[in-house]
Amino acid sequence: MKIIIAGAGEVGFHLAKLLSYESQEITLIDCDKENLTYASTHLDIRVIKGDATSIATLKEARINTSDLFIGVTSSETINITASVLAKQLGAKQTIARISNSEFITEQAELGFTKFGIDELISPEFLASSEIQLLLEQYAFNDSYEFEDGALTMLSLKLSRNAAFVGKTVKEAAEVFPELHFVPIAIQRYGTQYTIIPRGNTPFLEGDKVIFMTSKGGDEELITLSGKSVGDIKNIMILGGGNIGSKTAKDLCDTKFDVKLIEEDRKVAVDLAETLPNVLVINGDGRNSELLEEENIREMDAFIAVTKSSETNIMSCLMAKSCGVKKTMALVENMDYFKLSHSIGIDSLINKKLLAANSIFRYIRKGDVVAMTKLSNMNAELLEFIVHSKSKICNKYIKDVDFPASAIIGGVIRNGEGIIALGDFKIQSGDRVVVCSLLKTISKVETLFN
Amino acid sequence: MKLNYKMIWHFFGLLFLFNGGFMLIAALVSFICKDGVSVDMALSGLMVLLLGVVTMVATKNHTKELSKKDGYIVVALGWLIMSLSGTLPYLITESIPRFTDAFFETMSGYTTTGASILNDIEAVPKGVLFWRSLTHWIGGMGIIVLAVAILPLLGIGGMQLFAAEAPGPDSDKLHPRITDTAKRLWLIYVGYTAAETLLLNLAGMSFFDAINHSMSTLSTGGFSTKNGSLAHWNGQPLIQYIVIVFMFLAGTNFVLSYYMFKGNFTRIVKDEEFKLYAKFILVFTVIAASVVYYVADIDASSINYPMSWGPGESALRHGLFQVLAIVTTTGFVSADFTMWSPFLVVFFFGLMFLGGSAGSTAGGIKVVRHLVLIKNGFLEFKRALHPNAIIPVRYNNKAIDGNIVFNILGFFILYMLSFIIGALVFSMFNIDYESAIGLSASSLGNVGPALGDFGPVNNYSALPDLAKWWSAFLMLIGRLELFTVLVLLTPFFWKKV
Repeated sequence: MKIIIAGAGEVGFHLAKLLSYESQEITLIDCDKENLTYASTHLDIRVIKGDATSIATLKEARINTSDLFIGVTSSETINITASVLAKQLGAKQTIARISNSEFITEQAELGFTKFGIDELISPEFLASSEIQLLLEQYAFNDSYEFEDGALTMLSLKLSRNAAFVGKTVKEAAEVFPELHFVPIAIQRYGTQYTIIPRGNTPFLEGDKVIFMTSKGGDEELITLSGKSVGDIKNIMILGGGNIGSKTAKDLCDTKFDVKLIEEDRKVAVDLAETLPNVLVINGDGRNSELLEEENIREMDAFIAVTKSSETNIMSCLMAKSCGVKKTMALVENMDYFKLSHSIGIDSLINKKLLAANSIFRYIRKGDVVAMTKLSNMNAELLEFIVHSKSKICNKYIKDVDFPASAIIGGVIRNGEGIIALGDFKIQSGDRVVVCSLLKTISKVETLFN
Repeated sequence: MKLNYKMIWHFFGLLFLFNGGFMLIAALVSFICKDGVSVDMALSGLMVLLLGVVTMVATKNHTKELSKKDGYIVVALGWLIMSLSGTLPYLITESIPRFTDAFFETMSGYTTTGASILNDIEAVPKGVLFWRSLTHWIGGMGIIVLAVAILPLLGIGGMQLFAAEAPGPDSDKLHPRITDTAKRLWLIYVGYTAAETLLLNLAGMSFFDAINHSMSTLSTGGFSTKNGSLAHWNGQPLIQYIVIVFMFLAGTNFVLSYYMFKGNFTRIVKDEEFKLYAKFILVFTVIAASVVYYVADIDASSINYPMSWGPGESALRHGLFQVLAIVTTTGFVSADFTMWSPFLVVFFFGLMFLGGSAGSTAGGIKVVRHLVLIKNGFLEFKRALHPNAIIPVRYNNKAIDGNIVFNILGFFILYMLSFIIGALVFSMFNIDYESAIGLSASSLGNVGPALGDFGPVNNYSALPDLAKWWSAFLMLIGRLELFTVLVLLTPFFWKKV
C-alpha cells in the first residue's frame, strides 16, 4: 500500500512510525528540513521537502499511483486543499486533519466526499470524546470499546486493597470463577516495559493492568479493585480552547455540573455567552488560591486542557493533592506522555496520538477491524475477523500455536462479547481481539490470514 | 460635529404639516357633528399647515444627513413643537382659553399621559374632544417609531435589547430601514384601533365615543369623552372587557403583535419580557381583586358600582381594569382605588413605576428593565461567591453586554432621582405629600391619575400654573426615556470637543 503523508509534525511522524512497522511504502512531505531529517533517520520512509499544496511536490511524490493521501499539517486549510488536490491528481483515498469540529458534526450536510475528502479527523473532537468516555468509566485510566461496547478494554492501577494483589493470574481465576474480565497486559510499577500475563504471572501493588471485559465486567472490576465508587458530578475544566469548550458543552448537556477556568478575559466572556450552564471563571489555573476559592476540594474530576502541557500536568498534580478523584491532563509532549505512569495523574490525553490511532484504524480496515496502541506501552490491541481459511479457524485456543508475547483478550460472536479461555473453539465470522507486543504483530497476523 | 439645523427645521416643518393635516381631520369631525367650531378648527389646521409649508420651503436646501446629536434634538424638540402647535385648536375655539392649560392638555395628549385640566369634559365641543384624543393617537405613533427604531440607535437605557429589527448601535447615522419597520407596526396600530372601535360600537358605545376611546386605549393615553371616564360604562361589563383586552395589547411590544399576525407564536411564548408582563398582570390582578372583594369599602367612593354580573365578577373586573390601566400607564378610571382601602393606594402607587413592555406605547420604567435588574441583582449573589467568574445576564437566551446592564441601572437611578426631585418641586407649591409623590410618579410614568387631591375622580385643574409646567416637563422627559431630553441639558452635548 502506497501512502503519502503531508506534515511531519508529531501526528505525521507518529503515524509514519505506526505504518512503517507494517512495512508500508510511505512518503512524507513537509516544508521543514529538520523535521524531515529527523523522520528519515529514525524511520524507514521516503521524505520530500516541499509544500503539500504544490502540484509539483505532489507529482514528485507520485500521487497518481498512491492508495492513500493523509493531510496532517498543523493548518486545517492546507490539509483540506492538499487532500482535494491529491484526489484530483489520482490518490485513491484521502484523509484530512481539521480543527473545526463543526465540519464533523455537520458532515452529512456538507458532503466532503463530493469534493474529494473521504475522511475528516479532528484531534480536538477525538480528545473531547475520549475525555467523556474516561469520565463515564472514571475508575479506569484508559478505555477502548470494541463493537459498541461488546468488549471493552480497561486499564486500572492496582491499589493495596485490590482483592487480587499478591495472587497469580491462575490463583485469581480460581478464587473468582465465572468472571467477565481477563488481564491482557501488565506494566509493573516504575518500569517502562510491558508483560503479557501468563497463568503464573503475579499481580503486584501499583501494577497498571489492562483488562478485557465483556458486558458487566467493568462493575465487577471496580468492586474487586478496591476503588471506592462514587458518582462524578462536579467537574472543573482548565482551559477554554477548542477541546475545553467542546467538552464543557457536551458534559453540561448530559448530567454534570461544570466549572471552566480560562485565562484570557475575552475568550472567557465569549464562553460565558455561548455556554449558559457552565460557570466560567476568568483566572490563571496555576494559581492555587483561585482553585481553592473555586472549591477544588469539592470537585470530582479535574480536566486540564490548556495549550501548555506543563500547566496541565502541574495543575492536575495540584488537584490530585486536593483530593480530586479523577484528574486528566492534555499532554502534547510525547516524552512527558511516557512518564504518565509515575507522575500520578489518572489519565493523560494526547490528541496527536488519538488522531494517529484513528487514522491508523481507518487504514487497517480489512482484516484488522480496529486497533489501538496501549498508551505508553509497547503493545497494541487488534481486532481480527476470522475467515474460513484462517489458520486459527475451527481450533480450540489452547491448540493454537500463539506467540508468548501475544494473548487473545476476547471474542465477539454475533455481537456478543465473550471472554475466551483455552477451551474456546474459534469459528468463522468471529471477531477476535488480540493484545500483542509490537514485535509479534506480524506473527499474529499470519494466524488470521 | 456641527448640528444640521436646516435639516432639523425641515423635519419640524414636516411635523407641522403632519399636525395641521390631523387638525383638518378633527375639523371634518367637528363639521359632521355640527358642534359649531368647525371653522375655528379648520382655521387652526390651516395656520399650522402654512407654518409647515413656510418652514419646509425655507429649509429646502438642506443636506440629508442626521447625526446622533441631531437625532436627540429632533426627538426632544419635536415633541415640544408638536405640543406647542397642538394648542391652537383649544385656544382658537376657546374650549381651553388659557395657554398654560392648553399646553398642559396637549403635552398630556402627545406624551399619552391622559391627565386633564378640563372640569366638564362633556361640555367641550366634539371636534375639540376628537382632537384631544387624536393627540394621544399621534403621540402613540411617535412612540412606536421612537422605541423600535430611534432609541436603539441612540443607545438609551438599554433600548438596544428589544430592537429585534433595528440595526446595531454602532452606526452614527439614522437608518433608512426605520420607515419599513415603523410602517408595519403602524399598520398594526391602526388595525387595532379600527378593531376596538368596531367592537366597542357593537357592544353599545356610540361611534364617536368608541373611536375616541380606541385612540386613547391604543396609545395608552387615558383621555375620555366622559367626565366619569370608563366608570361611565360600569353598568356594561362587556365594554370594559373590550377595553381591558386592548389595554393589554397596547402594553405589549408591538413587534410581538407583528409576530402574532405572522403566525409565529413560539416567538411570543418564548419572549421573556412578555412572560413577565403577563405574570405581573395576573398576580397583581389576583391581589387587587381579592382586596376589592374582601376588604374594600365600596360605598366610600363617589363612583357608582352597579354589579350587573354579580359582586365577584365586579371585583375581578375592576381589579383587572385598574391594574392594566396603571401598569400600561393608560390611566382610564373604572373605580376609585384611593377610596377603597389604604393598601390599594400604596399598591397602585407602586404599579406606577412598573410600566408596560418596551416597544409598546406604554410609559414608565418598562418590564424589560425590571427583568434585567432583577436578574442582575440575583446574579450579584453568585458573583459574590465567585469573584473571578464571568456571569452575564441573559435575556431571551442571549448574554447581555455588561454596558447595557449599566445603561439600565443608570436609567433606573435617574428615573428614581427624577421622581424624588419631581415630588420635591410639587411640594414647594404647598401640595400635600401624598398628592406630590402621586403627581410626580404619574407625570413621569405618563399614567394620568395621581393620588390624594389629584386621584382618579379628580383632575389636574387645581394645580398652580408653574406646577402644571413642571408636570408637563416631567411627562416629556418620562415619555422620551429621560436621556433624550436630559442629554440636551448637559455640557457634553454642546461642547465641540
